Amino acid sequence: MIRLAAAVAVIALLAVVSVFIGVGDVSWHALVSPGPDEQALQVLLISRVPRLLAVLLVGTSLGVAGLILQMLARNRFVEPATVGAADSAGLGLLVVTMWMPQLPVLGKMFVAAAFSLAGTALFLLILRRIPLRSVLIVPLVGLVLGSVFDSVTTFFAYRFDLLQSVNAWKTGDFSHVLRGRYELLWVTFGLTCCAYFAADRFTVAGMGESFTTNLGMRYSRIMALGLLIVSLITGLVVVTVGMIPFLGLLVPNLVSMFLGDNTRRSLPWVAVGGAGFVLLCDVLGRVVRFPYEIPGATIAGVAGSVLFLSLLMRRDARVG
Amino acid sequence: MVLAVVGLGVACQRSAEPAPASGAAPVADAPTAKGRTVRHAQGSTVVPLHPQRVVVFDLVALDILQALGVEVFAVAGDQFPGHLAAFADPKYPRMGTLFEPNYEALHAAHPDLIITGGRSSAKYANLSRIAPTVDLPMGGVDYLDTVVANTELLAGIFGKEEKARALVTDLRASIAKLKETAASRGTGLVVLVTGGRISAYGPGSRFGLIHGDFGVPVAAAGLSASLHGEVIGSEFIREKNPDWLFVIDRDAGMGQSGGARQVLDNELVHQTAAWKKGQVVYLDPMNAYLIGGGIQAVDRLRGQVAEFYAAKAP
Repeated sequence: MIRLAAAVAVIALLAVVSVFIGVGDVSWHALVSPGPDEQALQVLLISRVPRLLAVLLVGTSLGVAGLILQMLARNRFVEPATVGAADSAGLGLLVVTMWMPQLPVLGKMFVAAAFSLAGTALFLLILRRIPLRSVLIVPLVGLVLGSVFDSVTTFFAYRFDLLQSVNAWKTGDFSHVLRGRYELLWVTFGLTCCAYFAADRFTVAGMGESFTTNLGMRYSRIMALGLLIVSLITGLVVVTVGMIPFLGLLVPNLVSMFLGDNTRRSLPWVAVGGAGFVLLCDVLGRVVRFPYEIPGATIAGVAGSVLFLSLLMRRDARVG
Repeated sequence: MVLAVVGLGVACQRSAEPAPASGAAPVADAPTAKGRTVRHAQGSTVVPLHPQRVVVFDLVALDILQALGVEVFAVAGDQFPGHLAAFADPKYPRMGTLFEPNYEALHAAHPDLIITGGRSSAKYANLSRIAPTVDLPMGGVDYLDTVVANTELLAGIFGKEEKARALVTDLRASIAKLKETAASRGTGLVVLVTGGRISAYGPGSRFGLIHGDFGVPVAAAGLSASLHGEVIGSEFIREKNPDWLFVIDRDAGMGQSGGARQVLDNELVHQTAAWKKGQVVYLDPMNAYLIGGGIQAVDRLRGQVAEFYAAKAP
């Protein structure tokens, strides 16, 4: 508990630093003794604080979505971005852009979440049908399925000259987050809380269907709840900021190395770790080429692949 | 390291052989019996005199050929916006897309001349095996000069030098007039919006003619000349506070309902001089983005900007 509090404190410190990084002039001095037009305060409230909140919400919820998915698929190597959840959400977004471009953000989110739900459900359905000889088959199936969705998206995007726009939405990037443009992400906070209350059930579901049924719980209902949480989070994040790679994979794995697989214990750590990871990536992306930006997802991709490889090297003995 | 240096040396030698000396404007030589030698972006090609069956893989070339009054045989792609709408007519056979030529159809068509440029430049090597191919250079730091050079290059091939001279003289004169106005009317920033993200472009970029040739003073110094611009947030626009915000809504250019207005309509952009004075200019994405370096597109873009400056006269 004390260690968790310390981790939260470190992230809070980083959060304060991040608020002071940006193109506009926001300094401690300008905030304490504001000029007549209070520009610094305005930039803080319109741009910096919303961006920080969006980063924290995306980080926590994607980490938690990754953890739940790993429990449901009973495999350590899956996350929303590698099982087709993100790619099918992207396909949903393309469908909206092509046929219902005037739909409000809430509507877009529901379409993306519905596609993501269908994609994730299809993944789990395929998993039940194929004989599993190796744990690596599971993420491979997910990657193949994701690529199928992605190729459909790419085909239509190519036909309608939307490739660049599709790339722009899919790349997780916080540069366009402003007051009034991210609030939907608070729904992910609610979903994260839901996940916390249902945490024990996910732990049990992670032991398998017969084990769960023997304990007198309805396996299918836990699966459905988990799926719903994962797809809604994925849909929301893809619609509002785009996808952050590796997050859902790395953070839950790192946490489980230290804390084991008790979801109720590890979930707060996953949430905090996810928030810290995204925050670090976003801050780096803003600093590296100041005053221009590098999308947070690009930084996450580079940092994540290095971290993930070193993780694989270390735990080669107990894959899965 | 040694290997890399040697490799670089070989690469330089190879590329130095066919490419024209840097800085030399591409031109057509005096004709011989076999045809005339045309120096272009990827080397030099012997083009037959009076080519009839001309296949065009570039909207810029199409724009210029139309202005010169040259009839083409076949085209590529599906999008023929604005003043190029006539090429959507099925009487022009399609030879694939700008990015993926249909090689079978091309072989069967027996073209006299293929013209590539911009989006199709990468296919030059493959296309030049089918027929004499000329690759139009893209506009860079000397944007207008490239447009003029490309117009003269094509005019030389089709014997339309006189028409080209008239077009170029008119264009230079009207741009010089705009330049005079723009110099005293405050700074400008050029942004492109796609998929909800904003990127900024400086002088020397693909939209560099707005600063370089139209003479709009630069609001954000130091923007590099990269093809895809620099990712920025609305905070950047507010901080640079341009008097004119030139917006290219890429998604609108692709026939989708563009979201640029929605993206830029926010509290930070509202604080800029451009927004307060109503000087946010949505450039025609066809002329600015799709057909960037065409002589008609440049003139239309100039017309649009000049109109805005006139409407907001102090």
